[in-house]
Amino acid sequence: MNSASHYEFTKTFFELNGCEITEKKRGHMKVKLTKEMDESLMNRPFYWHYMKKMNREGDPLSLTFKDIQLGEEEEGIYLHPGTPKLQQIYQVSLEKGYTTRLYENVNATVQNIALHPWLCMNVRLTFRGKQSKDLLLSLGLNLINGALIHGIMEKLDNLPLMSKVADYTFPMTPLIKIESGYQRILDHIESYLSSLDTHWAEESLSQLHHEKELLESFYHSQDVDEDQYEKELEQLLIRYQPRIQLEVANGGLLYLTNQTSNNMLTKKS
Amino acid sequence: MITIHPDNTFLPKLSQRLEESDSLCSYEEFKLAWQGLKLQSIPQFEGVLALNQLPHIQFLEHQIDACNKVVHEMSGRAILADEVGLGKTLEAGLILKEYMIRGMAKKVLILTPASLVNQWMQELSEKFYIQAASPRKKHADWKHWDITVTSIDMAKREQHKEEILSISYDMIIIDEAHKLKNHQTKNFQFVKQLKKTYCLLLTATPIQNKLSDLFNLVSILKPGYLGDLTEFKKKYKNTSLEEEDTQNHIHSLLGKLMIRNLRKDTGLDASKRKVKNITLNFNEEEQQFYDKLEALKADHPSFTWLTLAKELCSSREACFMSLKSLNEKNPSDLLKQLMDSIAELPHHTKAEKMADLIENSGEKFIVFTEYRASQFYLQWFLQQRGISSVPFSGKFNKSKRDWMKQLFKNKAQVMIATEAGAEGINLQFCHNMINYDLPWNPMRLEQRIGRIHRFGQEKDVNVYNFAIKNTLEDHILSLLYEKIQLFQNAVGDLDAILEQIPGGSFEKHVQSILQESDSQGEIDIKLKNLVSYVEYSVEERKELG
Repeated sequence: MNSASHYEFTKTFFELNGCEITEKKRGHMKVKLTKEMDESLMNRPFYWHYMKKMNREGDPLSLTFKDIQLGEEEEGIYLHPGTPKLQQIYQVSLEKGYTTRLYENVNATVQNIALHPWLCMNVRLTFRGKQSKDLLLSLGLNLINGALIHGIMEKLDNLPLMSKVADYTFPMTPLIKIESGYQRILDHIESYLSSLDTHWAEESLSQLHHEKELLESFYHSQDVDEDQYEKELEQLLIRYQPRIQLEVANGGLLYLTNQTSNNMLTKKS
Repeated sequence: MITIHPDNTFLPKLSQRLEESDSLCSYEEFKLAWQGLKLQSIPQFEGVLALNQLPHIQFLEHQIDACNKVVHEMSGRAILADEVGLGKTLEAGLILKEYMIRGMAKKVLILTPASLVNQWMQELSEKFYIQAASPRKKHADWKHWDITVTSIDMAKREQHKEEILSISYDMIIIDEAHKLKNHQTKNFQFVKQLKKTYCLLLTATPIQNKLSDLFNLVSILKPGYLGDLTEFKKKYKNTSLEEEDTQNHIHSLLGKLMIRNLRKDTGLDASKRKVKNITLNFNEEEQQFYDKLEALKADHPSFTWLTLAKELCSSREACFMSLKSLNEKNPSDLLKQLMDSIAELPHHTKAEKMADLIENSGEKFIVFTEYRASQFYLQWFLQQRGISSVPFSGKFNKSKRDWMKQLFKNKAQVMIATEAGAEGINLQFCHNMINYDLPWNPMRLEQRIGRIHRFGQEKDVNVYNFAIKNTLEDHILSLLYEKIQLFQNAVGDLDAILEQIPGGSFEKHVQSILQESDSQGEIDIKLKNLVSYVEYSVEERKELG
């Protein structure tokens, strides 16, 4: 992943959200925020609260971004991995693209075409202990026949999807309810996780026990206040307790033709 | 064994939004969110992911190893104790970046001496694309700033302290951490109270006078790691740091939370250091005046003469300023007479030599002097010879320091710095240094040299030490510097030795010898004794080594 992809991502993000972008040279853009974007990104709730109370429009700010290639010669926020603003933009893009319902756009024919409902869930599993990593799963469950596939986002790739049902097509009512579909996917994730290597967690745990012992003996022998002890213990748990945070990053219902649905099962992602 | 934290918001949200469809997103938004998720996700436990993102920096192997070790083995709490000039800051930056990329460090506080704040901000931005904030005058927004660089003194001020202590920091970095060794100071107490997950302590001299100093540093990182203080003290009460067993023991104890790379192990010797001691003779008038100063010994403490003699070795101006202030306190005919005759001295021998050297080479030079009066004089003198120069002092404010550094880099041939400027500027673009006068403590010289002989220096470094023959300076040079073989030695060791002499540091010893001796002869003998003690310790260390 090179740094330019972060720049391109950010540009697309602001375009999609209706912001005016002036790009005075490659890798450098000034973004005039909309009110909505200002509220999401600028951390100034009091200002907007006040404007609302005063019944005034308010004046959204502008942000300037640059690709790292530009260095110090231009003003602007670097778009580079780990940059807080960039993380925030990723976060907002997840909020904006959290839930959806999409229909495959089929070229009009006379006969009625049935669209099969799929429950699509993009899941981020964050492994955290002594070390950290993420695992992304893009899962799809056919709500008619219960087929479950991995990598659905990649498989959809160039498929025309839209928010409204195309003419001469109709969405089928799920046979599997969304709630049970959701549960099936969770069960699947759980069994998938249990098949993974747990060495990392064991190592974390043993380190945790070791350091906990040191800490305890230290605070028992010395008259150090409880507060400090609690604080350190809490930090030990943050640093070593092996855990997996399951987060459904986004998801929704996809209605796909029978043919596409069948292709999903065979296509390699 | 592994706790799984479930997601309880998605399903209710989805069901609700499917009912009121205007809050559902478009395919483009849906895809973009997924794309962003992929861009920010961390594919693996292992490795230093930041390296791929920072291709413009040529990290050295020992720096990458350090990062790997701190992140993956030490779990982000460590003492970084590389020798001066091996790029500790770069290591810390790399570790910080790695944690930021991995999404484990969002809220970060970096505490440095005030004189280094700007440099940190600049390095983080230029090298790591980490844009940090620092409080200015009245503006400080600790809650909202993600990455903050400031000094401990600023942070512990009444109006900031409480807010800072209420924040849970993911990572705290403390530069020049050896200043924290005393657990009774306010600084130590403050640092100890900070809420932190990961923590880096940077210092070139982790083991100083006492083992308990070390104990205190470690207790910031891992309380209990060395047991408790009473027991620790009891255990090591009768062991001396010089003993082999103790050394090995301490090193193995610290191996799990300290990184210490030595210059000799890193192949950084690519850039060689060429030291040349230049001894000059006073001209006749200067010599006469130097002898005249002796008259002061009669009714002044010997320290007065020492100060003035040392100043005269630097410049007429430095010596004159002291004479003047002495005369203001206790007016005397002798002092007045000295002031009159010093005004008639010609240009200083050293100044002439310095200008010749600079003129002949045509390259950039940094000149260090101990005295501000000399600094002014030298700048004026160089100007007379048509050589451009800029002054530098650690007492300048941030923007002035940056400006001077920039001027030196782009316009001026020479930078004239006072001692206070020794910490906190990096001038790898210059590879010539003149030590116009010599500090008592050889380690201070090492710090000066470290400004240009450090990571990033591509050329061999020339160091010229000036001293005047048959004066105090000559003694310092031959007794303190040459005998100790400062320049060829493993400096890390020497550093520790000089700090660990029984009865106080090396610098303190030299000062008290100079103050308490009645004659030059006595000074010589005492200094020789001191030096042979150091020599002995160095040899002993080498054999163990």
